[in-house]
Amino acid sequence: MEAKSGKAGDWRSYERVLLPKVKDYHQLEVYEANGGYKALREILTNDKWDPTAVTNEVKKSGLKGRGGAGFPTGLKWSFMPPVVEGVPRYLCCNGDESEPGTFKDRQLLEYNPHAVFEGMLIASYAMSLAGSYLYIRGEYADWITHMEGELKKAYDKGYVGKNIMGSGFSSELVIHKGAGAYICGEESSLMNSLEGKRAYPRVKPPFPAQKGIWGYPTTINNVETLAAVPYIINRGGAWFAGTGAEKHPGPVLYGISGHVNRPGVYEYPTGMLMTDLIYEVAGGIRGGKKLKAVVPGGSSTPVLRADMIEGVTMDADSLREAGSMMGTSGMLVMDEDTDMVSFLRRITHFYHHESCGQCTPCREGTGWLENIVTRIDEGEGHLRDLDLLVDLCSEMEGRTVCALADAAAWPVRYTIDRFRSEFEAKCRASLVSSGIDLAEVSA
Amino acid sequence: MADFIKNPVVELPERNPAPSFPASELVFTDAEKAQIAEYVERYPTADGAIMRALWLAQEKFGYLPPDVIKLAAEEVGMPYAKAYGVATFYTQYYKKKMGAHVLDVCTCFSCQICGGYDMLHYLENKLGIHKGETTEDGQFSIQEVECLGACGSAPMLQVTNGSYVHNLTTDKVDALIDALREGKSWPFESVTLPQDEDDLGGNRRTDVTATETYQTPPASETIA
Repeated sequence: MEAKSGKAGDWRSYERVLLPKVKDYHQLEVYEANGGYKALREILTNDKWDPTAVTNEVKKSGLKGRGGAGFPTGLKWSFMPPVVEGVPRYLCCNGDESEPGTFKDRQLLEYNPHAVFEGMLIASYAMSLAGSYLYIRGEYADWITHMEGELKKAYDKGYVGKNIMGSGFSSELVIHKGAGAYICGEESSLMNSLEGKRAYPRVKPPFPAQKGIWGYPTTINNVETLAAVPYIINRGGAWFAGTGAEKHPGPVLYGISGHVNRPGVYEYPTGMLMTDLIYEVAGGIRGGKKLKAVVPGGSSTPVLRADMIEGVTMDADSLREAGSMMGTSGMLVMDEDTDMVSFLRRITHFYHHESCGQCTPCREGTGWLENIVTRIDEGEGHLRDLDLLVDLCSEMEGRTVCALADAAAWPVRYTIDRFRSEFEAKCRASLVSSGIDLAEVSA
Repeated sequence: MADFIKNPVVELPERNPAPSFPASELVFTDAEKAQIAEYVERYPTADGAIMRALWLAQEKFGYLPPDVIKLAAEEVGMPYAKAYGVATFYTQYYKKKMGAHVLDVCTCFSCQICGGYDMLHYLENKLGIHKGETTEDGQFSIQEVECLGACGSAPMLQVTNGSYVHNLTTDKVDALIDALREGKSWPFESVTLPQDEDDLGGNRRTDVTATETYQTPPASETIA
């Protein structure tokens, strides 16, 4: 069988890197025996690695953030201002994975926590900072307990803390436990949460690199992004840049959920054909049914109809062309029986619940979206409601402090755009053309 | 006086909250105080430790009424009003007394299309309460929650901010309720990666007792 997949090359023979084929890789001893903390030792002991050289290697790798926005990581690091004596600087690793459809960070934290720690330490060295926080959502309580055990082992071995490996470089690492708020995944809100405030997003600028946690320069990266860093140092930026899609390279964790025969977290290069991921990797749609729609990267990325994914690969460029986004690469697959109106209703409920309440367009708008979509779902909507919804989306997008309002508006706008007939069929006095039985709807 | 001043839309904290616990119980032990002091050490300002302190208080007292929030705030060394703001912002801090076991059923979109609501309704029928309520014997509360980050093993639920229970079926819910009634805790379930099934013949961890696999959720009508 043809094993080439889009820009990902021969994926069947792909050797996993982030979650390698090693039992108990999450334990420090096993991680060490398999090249763990080698990258950290290398940069701390070899003179060729000054902080700029590390940042440049990450730039060369082309690593883009895996948390949803896909910002180039090396570039983000270089935004940190020059070191000023006496002014602390911080790194924060964002493990507040709460985007619906996304569950890869939880698996990474469970199965490879030391790569996250090592990545954070390398980043700390690259940006010359002495303290970093790993923010994990409170729901992951069991995983936090496991990781604290592993972190203590790393402290005892001298990989974290004062004078790491006798190099004179010191860096502390603290695990922060959240308490349940989607908004904490937004970087400025996460900073407020860390500081012990209500987690309201902050107005940008100033950006975190200028004014972050406690007003000091701060960089925030996703768990998977930082976990890739040790492997970039070990194997070289060129190796990373040569894996997967050219403009969005590297290994990536795909979290596939929904109506597929084999859901789960898979590690493959970026640029995989979506059809390969669904039909080959995840074993196709359950019960031999037809595919109806795919959400490619978490709830805020616009939904794609089955006829829109032919030839689309999992990287930022291809997905943008197809009319969606890479997001967190948490794919939700829906079969032909899925009701797109109640599906959208649940999404709008989510955003209404999770809006922090700071900005009016979002606080009120998410509620209106939910109410109107609910009305349609219950057969009480009017055709004009569809235009009202799209109009409401325009009033929300780009008018708030953070992007939650946009994230709430996109699914509404695009689900209506791409499945309009289903919405029309559920409205009162509609001209039914979609084949849905009106008697059944109004019953 | 303007109406909204007399009847504020937002519920404001009492300056001196009514006691929910007798004064003799509303104290931290020396060990707990030392633990909170250790949390404070981790942050440049004491405020950063409030979330951990509230977690500790919730584990001790079961929930966070205003007087417990005040106690935690005083121990950390931050204003009560600020701590109240934090405690009321996050969903995992319980503002009212909950059952001994809180069952957080995920119904967010992956779970929704994989039968999350079937599981929620099965549980509601089984325990005879609605979501947001607690059984009369004080044993169980049910909540409908947003995405818990276990979409591949949907439908799922979380027990009292702790164990995840993956791949729910009606049988598994029955087993869970029986176990909790008998005072047993639900073991940590490690979910095996599909690629590990192929490459390693099963879960990669040898230090866990319970494992789950990512499974295709049964079609809705067969769940209930």
